[in-house]
Order: sequence, then structure tokens, then C-alpha cells
Amino acid sequence: MKFHSLCLCLVVFVFATHSRTVPARDIDFNRDVRPIISDNCFACHGFDKGTRKGELRLDQREAATEDRGGYAVIVPGKPEESALLERVTSTDPDLVMPPADSHKKPLDRKSVEVLTEWIRQGAPWGQHWSFVKPERASVPIDGPHPIDFFVQQRLAESQLELANQAATHTLIRRLSFDLTGLPPEPNLVQSFPKSQTSQDWNRLIDQLLASPHFGERMAMWWLDGARYSDTDGFQADSTRTNWPWRDWVVDSFNQNKPFDEFTIEQFAGDLLPGATSEQILATCFHRNHMNNGEGGRDKEESRVDYVLDRVNTTGTVFLGLTLGCTQCHDHKFDPISQNDYYSLTAYFNSIDETGAAGGAAKPYLKYKSPYAQRAVDEASALVKVTEAELASVQKLAEAEFVPWLDEQIRRTKDGFQPWTTIVPTRLATTEGYQLRREPDGIIASAPADFSQDDFVITVAATELDRISGLRLEVFPHASHTDGKYSFSETGEFILTNVKLLVRKNGSSQIREVSLASAVADVEGVGTDSSYKTVRDTLDDDPRKGWTTRTKPSDVTHTAVFALEEPLVLASGEELDIVLMQRSLAPRELMGRFRLSATDQRGAAVRSLSPMPLEQLVKLQAATEDSQLDTSKIDSELRKKLLGQFLEDHAVWQAAKLRNDLAKSQLGSAKKALGDQNVAVLGERKEQRRTHVLERGVWNKHGEEVQRSVLPAVLKMPAAEVSSRIELGHWVVSRENPLTARVISNQVWQLFFGAGLVRTPADFGLQGESPTHPELLDWLAVEFMESGWDLKHLVRTIVTSQTYRQDSAVSEELLELDPENRLLARGARFRLPSWMIRDAALKSSGLLNEATGGPPVFPYQPPGVWRDQFMGRFVYQPSIGPAQYRRTLYAFWRRTSAPTFLFDSAMRRTCEVVPRRTNTPLHALTLLNDTTSLEAARTLADAAIAAAPDDLARRVEFLFWRVLSRKPAPNETDRVLLGQYNAAKAYYDKHSEDAAAFTTVGQLGSPDQKMASDVAATMLLANLLLNLDEGMTHE
Amino acid sequence: MSDAEISGLTDSGSGLDVTRRYFLGRGAGVGLGAMALNLLNGETSGRQTFAAPGRLGGTPFAPRAKRIIFLTQSGGPSQIELYDDKPGLIAMAGKELPESVRNGQRLTAMTAGKAQLVMPSHSQFRRHGESGATVSNWLPHTGAIADDLCFVKSMTTDQINHAPAMTRFLTGHHLTGRPSIGSWFSYGLGSSNRDLPDFLVLLSKMKRGSDQPLYDHYWGSGFLPSVYQGVKLRSAKDPVLYLRDPDGLPRHLRRNMLDGLSDLNQLRFEQTGDPEIETRIQQYEMAYRMQASVPELTDVSDETESTFELYGPDSRRPGSYAANCILARRLAERGVRFIQLFHPDWDHHSRLRSWCTARCRDTDQASAALVQDLKQRGLLEDTLVIWGGEFGRGVAGQGKWDSPEGGRDHHPRCYTIWMAGGGIKPGTTYGATDDFSYNVAENPVHVRDLHATVMHLMGINHEQFSYRFQGLDFRLTGVEESKVVHDILA
Repeated sequence: MKFHSLCLCLVVFVFATHSRTVPARDIDFNRDVRPIISDNCFACHGFDKGTRKGELRLDQREAATEDRGGYAVIVPGKPEESALLERVTSTDPDLVMPPADSHKKPLDRKSVEVLTEWIRQGAPWGQHWSFVKPERASVPIDGPHPIDFFVQQRLAESQLELANQAATHTLIRRLSFDLTGLPPEPNLVQSFPKSQTSQDWNRLIDQLLASPHFGERMAMWWLDGARYSDTDGFQADSTRTNWPWRDWVVDSFNQNKPFDEFTIEQFAGDLLPGATSEQILATCFHRNHMNNGEGGRDKEESRVDYVLDRVNTTGTVFLGLTLGCTQCHDHKFDPISQNDYYSLTAYFNSIDETGAAGGAAKPYLKYKSPYAQRAVDEASALVKVTEAELASVQKLAEAEFVPWLDEQIRRTKDGFQPWTTIVPTRLATTEGYQLRREPDGIIASAPADFSQDDFVITVAATELDRISGLRLEVFPHASHTDGKYSFSETGEFILTNVKLLVRKNGSSQIREVSLASAVADVEGVGTDSSYKTVRDTLDDDPRKGWTTRTKPSDVTHTAVFALEEPLVLASGEELDIVLMQRSLAPRELMGRFRLSATDQRGAAVRSLSPMPLEQLVKLQAATEDSQLDTSKIDSELRKKLLGQFLEDHAVWQAAKLRNDLAKSQLGSAKKALGDQNVAVLGERKEQRRTHVLERGVWNKHGEEVQRSVLPAVLKMPAAEVSSRIELGHWVVSRENPLTARVISNQVWQLFFGAGLVRTPADFGLQGESPTHPELLDWLAVEFMESGWDLKHLVRTIVTSQTYRQDSAVSEELLELDPENRLLARGARFRLPSWMIRDAALKSSGLLNEATGGPPVFPYQPPGVWRDQFMGRFVYQPSIGPAQYRRTLYAFWRRTSAPTFLFDSAMRRTCEVVPRRTNTPLHALTLLNDTTSLEAARTLADAAIAAAPDDLARRVEFLFWRVLSRKPAPNETDRVLLGQYNAAKAYYDKHSEDAAAFTTVGQLGSPDQKMASDVAATMLLANLLLNLDEGMTHE
Repeated sequence: MSDAEISGLTDSGSGLDVTRRYFLGRGAGVGLGAMALNLLNGETSGRQTFAAPGRLGGTPFAPRAKRIIFLTQSGGPSQIELYDDKPGLIAMAGKELPESVRNGQRLTAMTAGKAQLVMPSHSQFRRHGESGATVSNWLPHTGAIADDLCFVKSMTTDQINHAPAMTRFLTGHHLTGRPSIGSWFSYGLGSSNRDLPDFLVLLSKMKRGSDQPLYDHYWGSGFLPSVYQGVKLRSAKDPVLYLRDPDGLPRHLRRNMLDGLSDLNQLRFEQTGDPEIETRIQQYEMAYRMQASVPELTDVSDETESTFELYGPDSRRPGSYAANCILARRLAERGVRFIQLFHPDWDHHSRLRSWCTARCRDTDQASAALVQDLKQRGLLEDTLVIWGGEFGRGVAGQGKWDSPEGGRDHHPRCYTIWMAGGGIKPGTTYGATDDFSYNVAENPVHVRDLHATVMHLMGINHEQFSYRFQGLDFRLTGVEESKVVHDILA
């Protein structure tokens, strides 16, 4: 190859001037050079022999500098002779590297400068930083806090220094959120010494670390990484009961279980000698993956997926390696071969599992949770309350029942018509059958040649005030085949679907009215046996429906349909009753039928037996008195009549519903009391053989492999790492260069919003280098040498001046360091959405601080699950104190994450990178979510109680609760008083709006005299809960 | 722009956000996707097509389509009943599918190991229009507009189960975690409407407990920031979750409250200098605007009677597929970039004559009406409409091949979709299958090729549009080769 030296003329060294953030210094291979060649060259000239081109690899110095027949790609010390530089600067499209078909842009000038200078300095190589065991850099004794020492050193290079300490209340808030995920109690801030010593801070930190909420806060981090969820995911998305593991995580953090033990138990608790239930429970970590129970799914394919998921999760969470890349081929960038990858899968390949989902995803641990009893106690206490409420409502209702019954007796003296025949205003069909009216309200169809059709019967008005149910009678007739019900070959009929549609005159839209139930006198079996029950006419599925075939065919058959809510037809409204007959059996359509309606609810339309009022009429007819004496009504009928009365008693219905919900909640809690099936690891008797999977395909077996760990990370003889326990030990070995760094980095990220390595999931060659390498290594070593003491690591970080800095930023600093990589200021970032919710509960006083136990269901708008699963799952928010538990305990459906959260991890595969966006949808959630509004109402009640007559004091109260500080005069005077007055003036005049606005969640409306005051104060609280300051780690 | 900012951008999601917020905070943005900086190319392109361009800051070449309406038919509609006429099957009825045709095709666990007996189509076919496209009598309205459509009969995928196949169809990969197509466009092209999200999703409201739930990752943003995920437009009191202010809070008080909120946030901004606060103020303002723009969008009282007649009787029922088709047209009129409808329950393992025809009745008239409506309003030329699902169905009968109760199992090797408008050549049929509608006989179009083609129509080179995640440059079309199907372009 001929050498062109032209390109070198262009090289100008401008390191010293291009930016204050990267000052001039010696080229560092790992920091400066490797990212360039890794990103641009390794895809074809890297570790993966499968895709290597031109027999050239640039990931090793030997290969890159070898003589290639008269030239070398890199000639140390001689940039002008190095072919590398010629190729990356070439303007010849056939020569330039990276080539055009790689879709990579040519190297920028700066990169070329770096490469040139590096080669000039002798092209020194280095092992990738993260694969070298961390060493503790020396820090001056009696010097600053080691963290501050490293940070200040870096700052000094940029002529910067640490910012001042944040305001006391800000710092207390920061600590409280970081260590417990909750805002501080106002009095904690108020009573904190004005001129604090470091002892004061240490005491506070110790107090927070000792709080049971510390474990909850840390668990939220761990659950995201562990892809924890309460359901399987995929098609069936069955519920699982792995929540005792979640509590184990909380407990472990609270007990400050050494992180190495914590790790080993999660990898191999089941294999530990004399393993306790809790140690086995720990292994659920590796069973939190999704389970695919889709109908046509091959179980072995699923099982293989789970094995790979465990390896990939291990890679991301503990090692900071993108091992998933190695599933199909050798890693393009990191020195990990496909063979290495599958050797690692061998540790997880002999779990005693089948790949089944739902309730068959063994192995399970039968585990009794120590936290279940509390849930049962709470639920029982609630049932007592709701039962008492219901009883008192019942008493009142029964008193109202007496005059109602008298009224009914008077009203039905001249008879009672249970069903009113519908007089249609229009008859229509979709396909072409002809319908006509016959006497007695009967509708008849003429024979026709269409296989299927829909009959549409339109009603404008009925004599009834409302319609609560419909009755369909189907008649046999001599004109039908064999005198049965239709003109089809068989004479049978099949009703596939019934729909009710309301249209309004002048409106183009129609609304659908839901049916709650359907019953029939008889249900037969069709020639296609899926046609049977009348209940199946209520869905959109034409494959099922009602037939009376196989039943007597010379009698009238009857079906009754109950509406979910009674329908009141407004003037100008019409009801379309659509009788869909779209079965596979050709022309099995009703020949003669009649429709009637009723206004009676409940039992009257849920069965075909005589309605309670019908029975009353019968009794009345039998009596000789002019008016029936109510004492003659037997207790059974009386009960039925009371039931009929209560159907329309809204207060009773609400109390009944609440009591039913409480009882069902108690039922679920009791289920949590028994043995829970927690998916855990358990070894098969006989090990499965493990193979490389060609192109990652589950059944394309390549070379067989044996268990062994990643040699590039930490080599160990196979015999020493033959079991999962030993794998766990390897992960947390003092010699392992990655784990301590990776975990320290994730913990740092919790408190600074971003890690020292900004790519927490990738410590490999394509990841970013640490912003403060010595600091990261110091922390990692300190972490390990402290005995993997997580609380110590946390304490070390939060006692630094670096952590305590004010987070305000000048325009100049923002320009220089927009991402705060240099740490010349405190971290300011929006709190995770779960913390915002917990903070609203805490500051309002709603929070139920109980720990552990079965999942709960925070408010979610109705219909979200129903729409997505077409009714298969329905979300029922928890009632009573269970509603106000921390978000950690919220039920997590994998295929439909909680709607009140945003930017949360998806909990499908493991995630360690926080999402942090800022959208109008987040604003809407925080403005209008029920939790947020109920917190505002609760805050308003508390503020009014604290300062009934002094508005300024009331504002102050709210500020302390929500923001942990006093309001500034310009906040109160310029903004908040005006806000209050405007709202108060409106609500004084609109008491109904005041009542509506303040009635939220489980809270009833306030005393009418107070309503406008409560409403106006609540709006203030709603404003404060939406302040940037309140939702931000400052 | 300094290098530090560029490196922040091209790395992980978090770094990206910081930069994005930084610029939004500088007043460059007006809301969602409003990143008027050409951050990917490092320079500003001369062609700024959109009011508020996204990451690409304009497209590398002139787009043929400005927006997409994706009519997703979930479950695997049967090409054999709907589009792919194989009259020869009648002679083969009940016979074992020749092994030379099956050629090792994997079956689902539902029919694996069972005899593969040929079941001819349950429907009848005829040719339609000047183009002579074959469309079944179960889709009369689609047949009537065949001259406006381009049928691709040689679609092929490599996944045989629903979730992986749909994930493949909509995100380019069968495992979850990648951005959906709509997210890619939202990310790349940004918004042309400052009051509505760029990417809206509408699900048909059905009563049947479908066997294939519509997972939210089908419109998720994967590793892209969640701001690019599809927003579900529901048929409910709140078309967008949490949109409605609580009862008893009148609009003017909300406005007043937001002014107060903005004042206090502004004070905080002055104290902290954090540009994120200014962004937040803007997002709350956009939220307020959405509270007006979304109800205005979903309120169809200004639509004429003739519109409802065109889309069919079901279009009067909010939440129906047909009603969603009208909303799709309204969204297109408002410049929304990516509009995705989902109609579930096409998974017809049995009883095609009652089950499949029911789904045809739900969708046929409205799908055709949408194309006609866009055309008469002059919107079709820059709106790309796509109709299709995650795979097709096999030629063998599932259950009894000779009974009306027969159905068909999943089939990945070939299926049919159609496209219209937005640079697509109308009145064409592309590709063909063998005599059994089992293998692609000519011009295969892999899901990847569809993605490449769709990107091309939107003015994007799929090979150059990537996102850096975990050290790798990810593309919608992935690492395997994919091609733009030029033959179907106008």
C-alpha cells in the first residue's frame, strides 16, 4: 500500500483550547483512544472472529502493530507511517475507513488528532479500565473527605471548586428522599439545629438509615433491576405470588445484609448448606423474568429464553456488561465469546423447570409471609367498619321500606303488569330478511335466502319511565320447518349476539347500553356444540350463542336480559334492539318473536321466576280485605320485596358495594395468609447438557459447553466454579473487577441522578469511561473492604461535601458543564414518579406506613385494563387504608404498568438506567390523579384545622408540609393569597362545584358551610403539589 | 455546540435527556418533539419540512408521505379468505399438504403433529376495478376501492406466535425493548402540531375477551426516551388519561391556578437557574392546551351525516373501529405524524365463516371509507395508509377441514397487507405466493423491507437513522439486510 502523507498537514493540535472540560494532558489509551477505535473499527476488526474483515484485528496491540508485508496499521511513534491514519483520513471512497457501507461518519478532526498524538506518544496500549481490578488511590490523611478530595482534584483542573452547602431544609429534604424516598416531617426540619455540626448531620443520617423506609427505598432500585412484577407478562399475563421476595429485599436492605451475602443468596440460596426458607426465597431474583403462556408456544423455547434472561440480567445488574449481544455471535467490542456466554448459561440451565407459565412455573417455594397477618387484620378491621355502616344504612332503609310497601300495595291493587310489550317504530335488517308486525306485538320474518342476518327493532318510547330489562319470546309456528322456530332446514334458531344502541334525534352518534346478564327458560346444544347458552349472546363473539335445539320444540321459549343500569330514554331518543343471528348454521333465524320491557331491577330481571311485585299481586288477589294487611306477607316474600326496594336505594347500594369490596379484600388478604407459591431456583437431579445456540436460536444446538465463568472478567479454573454457589462467589469475589464498581455506580446514581459512569448498564468498551475513575475505584474498594456494607457505602457518599452542595447553577457553569459531570454543584433532578406519589401521601398525612404484605391497588382511571384485555382483567382500586400504601406495594401488571407512574422502568427486562422526561402527560397526571387530589383535600382539611382564621398561617402550614420550608413573602403575597381569594369567591357562589371538587377518593364532601373554604384551600394544595420544587431532588 | 454536549447526546438515554432539556429550557422548543436542532447530523439541513422538526431536523430527501395511518389488524387475518385467491385448492381439498410445500415449516404447539389437510377458502373471490385485484366477497367495500390500493401479497415474517410476531411487525425485533415504528418517527421527525402528541394510538372497543391483549410496548418507546411513546386515545370520558380536570373545577380556575404555578416555578427558576423548570412550565401549558385540543378532536358533532354514511353505521358508536377511522382522519387533518389503530381478534383458529366475517364487517367499510375520505379531501397524497397484521394463516384446516367449524393456524411465511396514498403506486398487486398460499413465489417483502419502505416514504434512509443504546447503533430495520421496495412506489 502506498502511503500518502498529505493528511498529516491538516493535523493541528488544539487540545488546550477546545474546551475547559477536557484540558491538555497525556493521551490516555482507555479514556481517549479506545472509545474511538472501538466505536469505529471493532465491528469488523475486533474480537468477533465471525465478522472480522481483512484478517485484521485492532483490539490487541500485537495484531495492530504487526508487519503486514511492508507496512503496519500502527507504527508506534510514527504517525506518518501508520496506515490507520491514512485510511481514516482518506477522501477516496474505496479506501476511507470506516467504509461507507458501515453507515458510520468519517472520523472527526478531533478524533484524528487524538489518534495521531497517541501514535506519536508510542501507541501505548492498556487493558480496558473496567477489566482491571480497582485499586484504592491514596488520599491524604487528615485531608478532606476522600470523595471531596477526588472531586476537588478534578475541579481544580478546570479552575472550579465545590459549591456552597445547600440550605438546611433543602439538605434535610435531599437526605430524606434519598435515604427513605419520603419527605421529612416538618418538625424535623424546624427543630434541626440552626448552626449545625457534622455530628448533627451524622445523627440525622443514622436515623434515616435506621428507618424501615430505607429498605423500601432501596428495594425500588433493586426491583427495577430484577424486573420484578406481579404477573407473568405475555398473552395470559397470569398473576403470580412472588411478593414475599419483594419483602425479603426490603428486609435485607434494612438488616444491612452484606451485599456479597445478598448476592450469593439470590444466586444460590437453595444450594446453601442447611438453606433456610428465606435463603431459598432469595433465589426468586432469578425467577422474576416474564413467563410466556401463549397457546401455541413451545415450552422448551420459553425455558431457553428464561435461562438467557438470567444471564443477561446478571450481566446488566452485577457486571455492567451487555452480555445479550453475545447470544448470537462473539461480542463485537468486549472480549467475550459466544462460547463464554453459553458457558455462563450452563449455571442456569439445570433448574428444575419446564418453561410452563401461569400456575405451572415450578419450582416453587411454599412460603408463609410474616407480613400477611397485618394485611388480614387491616382488612378485617375495615370489614367491621363497612358492616356497621351497612347495618346502619339498612336500618334507615328498612324504615323507608314500610311506606314504600304500602305504596306498592295501593299501586298494584288493580293488578301489575310485569312486562310491557314493545311497540316498534321501525323494523330493519342488515342483510335483507323482511320483518313484519303481527297482532299481540309479535314480529314475524319471511323466509329468505341469507345465511345470517341482524334484526333491528327500534323503539321510540315505552309506557315505562325506564327500562331495566328486556324479555324475548320465541314462538313455534305451523309455517316453520316441522312447526318449530325457523324456516331453516332444521327449524331451529341461534341467537349469537344482542346489542342495545341508543340514538338521539339530531345527533350523529349512538351510544351502546350494556347488558349485565341473560337467562333463558332452556338452553340446548347446536349441531356445532359451541352454541348453547344465552349468556354468550352478551359478547362480540359470533361463535357462541343461544339455541334451544335438543329441547322441546313446540313451546314458547323465553330469555330475559338485564341492563347494567336502567335506561331512561330522553325525548328524541330511540333505542335499537339488535338481535344478531350470525351463526354457522345457515338461516337459523327466528321466525316469530316478541320483545317486552320492564322497569323492575335486580332479581326481577335476573331470573324467569315471578317478580316480587307479581307475587304481591297474587297474594293481594287472594285476600278478601279491601287492602292487603302487610302482616300477611310471609317473611320470604317480604325479603324479596325489600330486595326489590333496595335495588333503587342509592345510599344502601353504595354501602353494600363498599362492604362487598371490603369483604373481597379480606378474602384476598386471607389467601395471602396461607402458603404462597414463590417461584425460586432448584436444581434438577440430572444436569441438562448445555450447547452454544447458533445465531441464538433456541433449538439450534452447536458445540457443547461446560459451566465456566467469563475469563475476560476474572479467570478461574472450571473445577473451582462448578456450581451456582461458586458462580455467586465469583460475582462478589474481591478479585472481580466489575461488581463493586457497578453497584457503587448504581448507588451513586440514586443520589446524584447520574452515575460516575454515565452508562451504568455498560462498563464494556462501548460504555463511557468514569467521570472520576479514581473516585469510582476508591468507592468500590471501600465498599468491598467494609465487608460489602451497603449502609456504609451510602453513609460515605452522603457525608461528603460533594453531596451536600447547593444545586443552583450559574449560566456560566451550565454552559460549561450542562450535565454536571464535574460535580461543581449539587444534583438537581426530578424525583422518580413513585417518589412523587409517596411524597403526596406522606405530606398530606394519608400515608399508610405499614411494610410488606400482598400487593395493593392504588387509584387508576376506570377501564384501562378492561380496554386492553377486552374485559379479561378488571382493576379494582383498594379501599380503606390499603389505598394509601407506598408505591412499592402497588400491584404491577407487566402488560399494563400502573398508569399513575411515568418514566418508570418497564419491568420486562432488567433496567438500571433511569428514565427522566418532561411531558404534558406527566403534568396531567399530577394535576388530576385521584391520589394527588385526595392528598390536596386532606392537606386542605389539616391546614384549615391548624389555622382556621389566618390565611397566611394556613399557607405557611401547607408550605411546611409540601416543601419543608416557610413561604417567602413574595410567594404568599404576590401569588397565593390571590389564588385563594379567586377560588374562594367562585366557590362561595357555586356551592355545588365546591362540593363536587372536594368530594374525592374515599372522602365525602365537607360541611356545606365550610365547602368553599375547603375547595379554595384544596386548590392551593393542588398547586403546591405540582410545583417543580416539590417534585425535584434539589 | 460543544463536544461535551454532543457526547451527552449520543450516549445513553439519560445523557440525551439532559441535553434535550437544556435546549428546550433555552427557549428553542415549543413542546413535544420540538428539538429544532439538528443534533444527529451536527449541522442544520437545508430542507426543514416540518414546523417543529425532530432529531433529523428535516429529512435527507423529499418525503412522499407526511404522516402515517397504520390500521393494525391484530391476530393474523387470513390471506386465504381475504385476498390471496387460490382456486386450485378446491381440487386439493382434504389432501395432505405436500412436504415439498411445507418444507420444514414450524407449526405452533396447537397443530404440531397433526395432519395438515388442505382447506380451500371459505369465501368467494372476484377481480375488482381496472387493476383487476382479487378481493374476497367478505370485503366488498375494500374490493370497490381496489384501484386506490397496493396489495402486497408476498409479506413474510419469521415469528409464529402472536406477541413475538406483532413485536417484530411493530418494533423490528421479536423481543421487547425496541422502539415502535411510531416512536421512531416521533423521535426523528418531531411534531407538526403543537397541541397534540405526535403519535396517537386508538384501540377498538370490543366486549369479547380477546386472546391477544394489546401490550403497551406495541406503541412503546423502547430505549428511546418515553416522551416518544404513543399516547392512547381512549373512548372514555378521558380520551387521554388524566386529561379532564376534576368535577367542580371550572376552566378559568384551572387557568388561574396554572398562572400561579407558573409564577412560583419562575421564581424557583430565578433562584436555581435550572432550565428544566422552564421546560416544566411549558409542559404544563401544553397540558392545558391539550385539555382543549383533545376534546375538540374527539367531538365529532361537526361531522356531516354523509361522513357517517360513508364510514358505515358502526361509525356512530364511539370506540368502534369505524369511529376510530373517522378520528384517524381528523388526526391526519391536524397534522399528527403517526396514527395507529388496533383492531383485535383476527386469530381465527375455528369457524371462519362466522368469526372472520364478523371482523370483516367491523373493518371493511370503514377502512375503505377512510381511504376515500382522505382522497376526496386531498390528504391521501401525503398520508400513507397501511392495513395489515403480524402474520397470515396456513392453508391446512385446523379442526375439521370439511366443516364450517374449521379454522386456520398461524402462518408466518406469507401473508397479505395493503397500502394506499403517500407515494404508493395505486391499483397494484405486488408479489405472489405458490399454489397453496404457503410460500412466497415471487418478490418477497420481509417485515424489515416494509419498515425500510415506510421510512423511505417518510423521507428517511433507514440505514442512516439510528440511535445509540448500550454502545450500539440501533435501527428499526436491525442488522440484517433490508430493502426499499421501489416497485410499489408511485
